[in-house]
Amino acid sequence: MKISNKYFWLFLLISLIWIGKVNANPKNPNWPKLYTEELFHITEVMVTDVASPPVAARIYAYSNLASYLVIKETNQSFDHEDLLSETYLSDQNLEIPNPTLTSPEFAAIYAMLKVGEAIMPSGYLLKEKQEEWVEAALRAKIINKKSLQAHIDFATLVAKKVMEVAKKDGYLQLSTLTRYTPQKGEGFWYPTPPAYIAAVEPEWKTIKPFFIENLEAYKPAPMAPFDMTEGSSFHKQLMEVYTTTNELNDERKLIANFWDCNPFKVEFSGHMAIGVKKISPGGHWMGITGIAAQKANLSFAETSYIHALVGMTLHDAFISCWKAKYDTDRIRPETVINQKVDQRWRPLLQTPPFPEYTSGHSVISRASAVVLTGYFGDNFEFIDSSETYFGLPKRPFKSFLLASEEAAISRLYGGIHFRDAIEEGVKQGEKIGDMIWNKIQ
Amino acid sequence: MYFLQKSKTGLLLLGTYLLLFQGTQLLAQAPSTHFEKVSNKKLGVTFKNQLKEDEQNNILRYEYFYNGGGVAVGDLNNDGWEDLFFTGNMSSNKVFRNLGNWKFEDLTKTTGLGGKSTWTTGVSMADVNGDGLLDIYVCYSGKGPASERGNELWINQGNFQFKEEAKSYGLADNSNSTQALFFDFDKDGDLDMYLLNHNIEVINELEFSEVKDIRHPFAGDKLYRNNNGSFTDISEQAGIKGSALGFGLAVISSDINEDGWPDILVTNDYIEPDYLYINNGDGTFSDQITDYFQHISHFSMGADISDINNDGKLDIYTLDMLPEDNERQKLLYGPENYEQYNLMIQEGFHHQNMRNMLQLNQGEGNFSEIAQMANISNSDWSWSALFFDATNDGNKDLFISNGYFRDYTNRDFLKYKGDYYFKQAIANEKADTLHLVTTMTSTPIHNYIFENKGNLEFSDRTIDWGFEEKGFSSGAAYADLDNDGDLDLVVNNINEFASIYENKSKGNNWIQLRLQSNDKNTFGIGSKIEVKTKENSQIFELQTVRGFQSSVSPRLNIGLGKNDVIDIIKIIWPDGTNQVLENIAANQVLEISKENQTVANSRTEIVPILTENSNFPNFTPAIENVNDFKRQPLMLTMPSHIGPIMAKGDLNADGNPELFIGGSKGQSGKIFSFENSSWKPYTGFKSTPEFTDAVAIFEDFNGDGKQDLFAGSGGYHDYIGSDEALQDRLYLNDGTGTLTRSTTFPDYKFSTGTAQAIDVNGDGDLDLFVGAKLIPGKYPIISESKLLVNDGKGNFVDQTIKYLPKEGKIGLITSSVAIDLNKDGLMDLVLAGEFLPITALINNGESFENQTSTYFDQEFSGWWGSLAKADMDGDGDEDLIAGNFGMNSQFETNEGKTLRLYASDFDQNGSIDPILECFVADKMYPFPSRDELLDQMASMRSRFTDYASYSKATMEDLFTKEELENSQVLEANTLKSFYLENTGNGFKEKELPRIAQSFPIYSILPIDVTGDGILDLILGGNQTYTRIRIGLIDAGLGLVLEGDGKGNFTPLTPAQSGLAIKGDIKSMIPIESESGTQILFGINQKPLRSFQLK
Repeated sequence: MKISNKYFWLFLLISLIWIGKVNANPKNPNWPKLYTEELFHITEVMVTDVASPPVAARIYAYSNLASYLVIKETNQSFDHEDLLSETYLSDQNLEIPNPTLTSPEFAAIYAMLKVGEAIMPSGYLLKEKQEEWVEAALRAKIINKKSLQAHIDFATLVAKKVMEVAKKDGYLQLSTLTRYTPQKGEGFWYPTPPAYIAAVEPEWKTIKPFFIENLEAYKPAPMAPFDMTEGSSFHKQLMEVYTTTNELNDERKLIANFWDCNPFKVEFSGHMAIGVKKISPGGHWMGITGIAAQKANLSFAETSYIHALVGMTLHDAFISCWKAKYDTDRIRPETVINQKVDQRWRPLLQTPPFPEYTSGHSVISRASAVVLTGYFGDNFEFIDSSETYFGLPKRPFKSFLLASEEAAISRLYGGIHFRDAIEEGVKQGEKIGDMIWNKIQ
Repeated sequence: MYFLQKSKTGLLLLGTYLLLFQGTQLLAQAPSTHFEKVSNKKLGVTFKNQLKEDEQNNILRYEYFYNGGGVAVGDLNNDGWEDLFFTGNMSSNKVFRNLGNWKFEDLTKTTGLGGKSTWTTGVSMADVNGDGLLDIYVCYSGKGPASERGNELWINQGNFQFKEEAKSYGLADNSNSTQALFFDFDKDGDLDMYLLNHNIEVINELEFSEVKDIRHPFAGDKLYRNNNGSFTDISEQAGIKGSALGFGLAVISSDINEDGWPDILVTNDYIEPDYLYINNGDGTFSDQITDYFQHISHFSMGADISDINNDGKLDIYTLDMLPEDNERQKLLYGPENYEQYNLMIQEGFHHQNMRNMLQLNQGEGNFSEIAQMANISNSDWSWSALFFDATNDGNKDLFISNGYFRDYTNRDFLKYKGDYYFKQAIANEKADTLHLVTTMTSTPIHNYIFENKGNLEFSDRTIDWGFEEKGFSSGAAYADLDNDGDLDLVVNNINEFASIYENKSKGNNWIQLRLQSNDKNTFGIGSKIEVKTKENSQIFELQTVRGFQSSVSPRLNIGLGKNDVIDIIKIIWPDGTNQVLENIAANQVLEISKENQTVANSRTEIVPILTENSNFPNFTPAIENVNDFKRQPLMLTMPSHIGPIMAKGDLNADGNPELFIGGSKGQSGKIFSFENSSWKPYTGFKSTPEFTDAVAIFEDFNGDGKQDLFAGSGGYHDYIGSDEALQDRLYLNDGTGTLTRSTTFPDYKFSTGTAQAIDVNGDGDLDLFVGAKLIPGKYPIISESKLLVNDGKGNFVDQTIKYLPKEGKIGLITSSVAIDLNKDGLMDLVLAGEFLPITALINNGESFENQTSTYFDQEFSGWWGSLAKADMDGDGDEDLIAGNFGMNSQFETNEGKTLRLYASDFDQNGSIDPILECFVADKMYPFPSRDELLDQMASMRSRFTDYASYSKATMEDLFTKEELENSQVLEANTLKSFYLENTGNGFKEKELPRIAQSFPIYSILPIDVTGDGILDLILGGNQTYTRIRIGLIDAGLGLVLEGDGKGNFTPLTPAQSGLAIKGDIKSMIPIESESGTQILFGINQKPLRSFQLK
């Protein structure tokens, strides 16, 4: 804890210096920090709308894509190859007549907020944030009044282009598909207490991923079959969840809560229910991306690159994971423990409303960590302060991969996943992360 | 002053005034009803149930924080005037002595009845020690320590002196109590006690069944037996449930099964079903609620039991929390969760829906739930229900107190108030839960009073009778406070003075009864009273605990209408002895002391007309788990579940009937032969399991003198538009009785609704009209019905374009009959369907022309499920019986109200969005909840970002004018089922009797049931497969309507007819044989049933 405190103060100090710099030197604002702050406005709207984890990833992917696209189309240089050439967008006409912009950075953030506005139900809340961004940019002399409109026009155009492709990715077709019906028989998923929320996005596999060409290639290894015979792999894993959760020490409890990331936990008090909200797992990794970008003091172009990359990686990882979830349709530990072992048992975390295999946290954390490691290098130490406002402490990590491993195992401590869903999920995420990182080299 | 003005207007006003005055004079002679709130100051009744929300005391800490207090009324000092007792949750209880003339004296201090500071709940007055004086039992609950919770028993010492003696009686129970019921369950002549309790923690886990078997020390209800003034807890051996799931909010005793032993109804909040404890007569009870009621209220609160239709049978009414108006409904309704619902059923919690339920007692343990038809299903967050005769006209009216201080079921609160924590966290500020509580909106609403119009219909009189004031009311009681022969009302309110309403009714006669028993049950609690006048016969049960947390006076008030003499008053005392009084003058208080005079009980045994036997084919329709709402979430009922249909013929011409029983996807249809009084499988036919049989016709289609079979394919399931399983089939008879599918039958695909084999072109062979019901996955887009012309050899040619109007696109056709309406020798068609007018198509030999307006003087568009023809009035022509959706749902079509079904691919993503627009109260709104709409249409998600914005939205707010204009719109202007008399030049409508309107009718059989040579009707129906919010409509038990040959119908009770069939009856068919007529009933997903006619 001492270390983390030290880092915290250091961090705070750097932040303060940077804030000072924004005011003092308009030519050199702290772009990673500003980027992170503006992106957080999108996160806030997601929280209001209760975007489910896969939906949240899609929003992050397309909003950060807009920012990246502005930078790309204004011919800014990146340290890496173009991200999009290896995605399904490579054959989409995203060519935009590029004007000369004095601040592509301003336009990039504006475009990001514009996509956020268009892609989220309560996106209108971002209108105010766009205005505030304009005012702040004018004040900080990032942009002048004369060229403002040209920037806004270009940003709006890019946002429109992005939304055109987003609208064709299958999302709008979801409501035409037959809804999920739980399967009959033992071992299949069924909605879980206390709110018995219906299956979240059972047809997410129909959404177009950016990098993955064939979803089958990222299918996880088979899970342990449902088998309540003592000594079977399933039974062992079941009892592991049961005993692990029953014997949690404070550190493990903290780890489980640190990575909870449940966008909508329902708390009941009689007839009254309150949805307690947190950012989604994707939001957590976007937060880590921002923290790393700030620590590495990235340029705006690089900040937008890495955010777009992580956003798209998250999106692909969720699609692959969600396909696995509904292909396997596996029961949650809470259901089977309550039915077969102990009716009084409740997991530490509220069981999320979708099937168990593979663990979403494991897949998406590993995939994100792999691309972040590729980009920032291994052993990139950082202090994760993504969720301090929820009363969670800051948590130092030696590397992205170690953080992803902790995120993965936290689901066992939380009592909501079996070990194979975590371990195979990590492998699945690693495979996706590797593929993406290799593609874009 | 106004009238003395010397001006023209003044004179004019004076003139009007005189007219009005004369008017009122005339009205004064006719009965009139009105209540007037008496000022608390004038009364001297200054009781207020004042709550104080703070960190320790609030709704987040104690979920029953806003349930309110109770009222008990009774004559505490036997001076002939009813006294009052109120409980305050956090404030002192109060007792008021009635001084007469609307003056009360607060005697709380001198009596010591103020109670303790513990959270106080309900109160009951009863003569616990049998000394002729009413004692008072006060209940306590709350989150505080159990040691402070002991309930109080205040023993009346006379002269307004009380002593608290709960401990010495063994009744200082420290459960979390709601109220106590004093009744003599073992008929030993003293009062025992049922203690109604509730948990203070809600259990949401549906599979947590262990909890059901463990008694919770404070939440479980208890039964105490009175042994000479010492009470012992006998809950366990008596079979009283006591689990942590108990959330008891009301308890009433009543002899539900009429066996002379008092039974108990307990309502439970939340997931735990209500309990209906049938008294076994041996000191034990059995909860039989699921046997008696097919569905129950979900978050049950107050309740009452009373005979609401004066048929001598006690009806049961439980309250829930469904609001009346659209806005509050839309703020309350969330997504339909079929998985949660199924789990609830699977775990034995029974079918529960959030609305008031009126279980109409049809006799012999048969109940039909009809609150919606009776117009008393929606009264918001309702606490007390009291049936009492407010008008003294001989029908029991209904008062409902309601209101909840905070709108905490508001969906926005669930979804968006969580943002508060999030925002506070980001702003680095501490979240203040009390702030969350106090920022919850608070919506006062008025209580309801309904006039009983007879005929199972209540009329909302809230405003006309003086109950328009809005507030938050809880316990209530009725009593004649001014001894003027009508019942006044006392209501306990949150944060306001208790309301006392004087009944200002005039013009009707009454009588009041005060029973006096010669045992320890001095007031004769549990006695039954029958009162017969020239006009009607009423029954009462003397039970003081009813409504919510309250007790009424043991003095009974009975309305007599215009009768000034009562023919018979019969008292059946709790011990079963009868006492009869004759020719009693009205308008007096009668003291009746128990005499040991026994009069023989003259109960006539009714012999049912139909008797059940087991002589039916061995065919059990399979259970189908298909949920059509997963495919088109905005539909209202599931079109997959239509079977089994039945048709009879004689394929091998041996004189023995063959019976076709339709299959459904996964189970083939089959034919059986009836030979030597038994059913055998018929070998000459084989179908395949992909079809869902919707219609079957045995006729000779190829002119070889042998019957062939036309089978129409219907259903919905997962059929796609081009599905071969939707193809209708013709099976030709090879002459030996073997049926082979014709390969030349025209190729067309839709879900078939109906068909008629008629000679359309007069060439002597049978052609086919096939009515299209729907296209699976694209409901309610209209498909082309077909007219198929026969070449005489069983080869059919599609001539739809030539013959049918609109190229066959007539509607969602469900049923048809063929009648030669214009008597030109050519068969015409009458069609009915969903959101379709009953349509008359006249055949001129060349084509069918829509001449509906010629035959019907108004449009009868409905949600029709069946149509039958028969000469019901014996005038030689065929009349029609049209079965509609009925009036027992949230959908209303009275007084010009209509239903509109819009359909279009509004969001242009390739799926048809059917959106029903219906009246909610007095305006039309879209039926779907916000979650349902947003789930189906992504474009709406940004339009309605919260529940509040959607709660007022009309169709015009959802869609543009163009979008609405370009959509398909279907209408229904009535949901009633009709008898349509053929007058020779058209049809004259007559509504079927009201009980026939309580369920959707899918099968109609005109047949002489009573054996008087006159045709009667059997109506079958019900609808199990509706949206969760609509719930099961299961009031139909196989209804027999006795015809009089003149087009009038009298419903028979199940006991009279012998029919008490639970389930969705889809088909009925009479089979005649040497041993008489048997009628087979096809019930969806249940075995066939067979009944023999006398």
